[in-house]
Amino acid sequence: MTVMQKKSLLFLCKCGANISNFVDLDRIADWASKAGHIDLAESHNLLCSPDGKKFFQETLKQKKPDTVVVAACSPKMHEKTFQELAESVDVNMSYIQMANIREHCAWVTQDKNEATIKSIELINAAAKRSFEAEPLKKMTMAVNTDMVVIGGGIAGIEAALSAAKADRKVYLVEKEISLGGAVIKTEDIAPSMECSPCLLAPRLSAVRNNPNITVITNAEVNEVKGFYGNFTVKIHKKARYVEESCIGCESCFEVCPVDVKSAFHLNMGTEKAVYTLFPGSVPAAAAIHKESCLHFVDNSCNACMEACPFGSINFNQKDEDIEVTAGAIIIATGFAAGDIAGIKNLKYGAIENVYTTSEFERMVCSNGPSKGELKLKNGEKPEKIAVIHCAGSMREDGLPYCSGICCVEAAKVGMLVRKQLPDVQIVNIYQELVFPNPRDFSFYKQQCEAGTHFLKSDNISSVLLSEEKERIRITALGIDPVEVDLVVLSTGLQPSESAKKLAEILNIDLEKDGFFKADHALLHATGASLDGIYIVGCAKGPVNVSDAVVTAHAAIGDALSKLVPGREIELEIMTACIDPDKCGGCKLCITVCPYKAISNNADKHISFVNEVICRGCGTCVAQCPSGAAKAKHFTDNQIYAEIGGLIYA
Amino acid sequence: MPETTSTIIAFVCNWCSYAGADQAGGLRLDYPVNIKLVRVMCSGRVDPQFVMDSFRKGADGVMILGCHPGDCHYRNGNIKAMKRSILLEQMLPTFGIDPKRFRLDWVAAGEAERFKEVVTEMSETIKNIGPLHLKGFVESEVA
Repeated sequence: MTVMQKKSLLFLCKCGANISNFVDLDRIADWASKAGHIDLAESHNLLCSPDGKKFFQETLKQKKPDTVVVAACSPKMHEKTFQELAESVDVNMSYIQMANIREHCAWVTQDKNEATIKSIELINAAAKRSFEAEPLKKMTMAVNTDMVVIGGGIAGIEAALSAAKADRKVYLVEKEISLGGAVIKTEDIAPSMECSPCLLAPRLSAVRNNPNITVITNAEVNEVKGFYGNFTVKIHKKARYVEESCIGCESCFEVCPVDVKSAFHLNMGTEKAVYTLFPGSVPAAAAIHKESCLHFVDNSCNACMEACPFGSINFNQKDEDIEVTAGAIIIATGFAAGDIAGIKNLKYGAIENVYTTSEFERMVCSNGPSKGELKLKNGEKPEKIAVIHCAGSMREDGLPYCSGICCVEAAKVGMLVRKQLPDVQIVNIYQELVFPNPRDFSFYKQQCEAGTHFLKSDNISSVLLSEEKERIRITALGIDPVEVDLVVLSTGLQPSESAKKLAEILNIDLEKDGFFKADHALLHATGASLDGIYIVGCAKGPVNVSDAVVTAHAAIGDALSKLVPGREIELEIMTACIDPDKCGGCKLCITVCPYKAISNNADKHISFVNEVICRGCGTCVAQCPSGAAKAKHFTDNQIYAEIGGLIYA
Repeated sequence: MPETTSTIIAFVCNWCSYAGADQAGGLRLDYPVNIKLVRVMCSGRVDPQFVMDSFRKGADGVMILGCHPGDCHYRNGNIKAMKRSILLEQMLPTFGIDPKRFRLDWVAAGEAERFKEVVTEMSETIKNIGPLHLKGFVESEVA
């Protein structure tokens, strides 16, 4: 039996003179005419020009070749161009093979003879490879265009509002009992010093009034299945023992006999066992601290239930598991204040009147534990206050990095103090100052002019606090000792407590510092390491309010552009697949897949690739001991043929 | 031996090293013409069999070039390539092949100069060792 010799149609591009000046195209044509497996189309001056493309299409239509070799520039430049042209004349894209005779031949040697020989080898390899090609099929998939936003701080709120505006259903999941995140705990936002509650209140009411947004509070995401365009998200919603009919009128607060340390006030004040975070919260409903409420402790009290004018107290409320579907997931889980408990020199928790910046700000908030009044533990007014920059930052036993946004917060302390006590002396002790944009920098200059004294230490890690006759003495390398009445420690930002667990649930990467890793730091900075998952606000690293909102809008913009109702998404074409007849079920492929795209069917003892998740790296193919895994368009046969073609030209 | 008579096959990942080689061309950097690239999507795709097949078919040297560790387009395929390479290097003498004929390295998309440097070094190495005549285990070039 004789097998018909397949023939590859060769196009030679001169690329102006970029190729033809350095490679002898006539000699290649001569070789091609004798090779047997090559059919030569004419060379063209510039195959990617409109005229060249037309020539390419017309020649394909006329000659109906088995395969095509385009000897021209890099496939990274024009492979797609010629594949699409081929598809337009009903030639499958897989049969188009490029030989990179420009970047890899013409341009890397002065010797025309050598460049020509190497070009022939590359063309030969491309032709041999093309004979092993199997047709590729474009695949599309219907998608769910709704979104789940995890985290109800400023970034999550803005993401939800943006998506809802485009008529998408949004499930906004928040672990606290109401929305607002870190921003709602502050008084003013530096450097514009816009009032935080004034900024957030209208956004909260917009969320409340938007029928596209379902707010799920007191809740955590605990399981995610599926993939880009088709996620199923399981949400565990804890009972709050108060029904949604509650309007937050606070009638129950007056009768509740139990005081509980308030987490909202960072444990500096108290709230009742039935509580809201702040008046006007969204949702408005209160919640009950089960572990402190006397009804739950010894069944001795029903005061709130009796006082409620709406019958909203429900001691029998149960936790709920809610399942929703979405095409994209937006992570807006924020940050945690840098932990400084382990840094003994700062005496945090050991000396009175030492606060972190967030505690200090909560204290001076008009809705704070002391109604905004700034006073010492003994009730007196402070005369001198010190702010320690980089408390716990830029050191190996704390946060090893600079958070970049705390200097402006540290500079803000003086401004907040002067608002009520204009004569208090403020000294900021720092090693490095970071005011990375013109607005932050001019804010810093304003604070200098307004009287904040900035003192540079040679080493901020050397700061040591000690008690000195009811005052606090601060020593540090490079400065004279300072005695003050109150110290504010400017802590950095660390990843939120939920980041690690969420990364595991979603199978996405974290940076070394524990913040979520971007798919690409520059080009896709709000994309997580898996498609369809976005990271916004401080979940992706410390950012200020402005940047948190920018990232939220950016992520939603990207998601909206990819998930369009009625439009299917195009899937990666060159994925891996596993031949069920050859698979031995050893699961080695599963261990190497970076995207968990491979699963094992326990009944059939075989593994299979989810081609929606697969990105086509081919690592599983190299790992497969039985040759069952195949990388489309990069099959073993194609690569073996290419190797042979390079050597035996 | 003249360069043109020896052959070095380099398996290069699409995202970093192939792009680095393209840039070397764009910058008109000369490097030995006996370096011939086989593009794969990821260095993690390179089956050690590809390396052995290259030697069997007559390559005098084989390289795998991928993204720098931490920069892999597919998270960590390059690390998998590295793990396989360690084993492969240990196996090569068994087949009578000097492990120096194989080299795994990292070249980023912007590292045209580094691409040139790495492949030129490899070409020099192969020139020094001489051609590979695979004649089975008897006349191994490894003592």
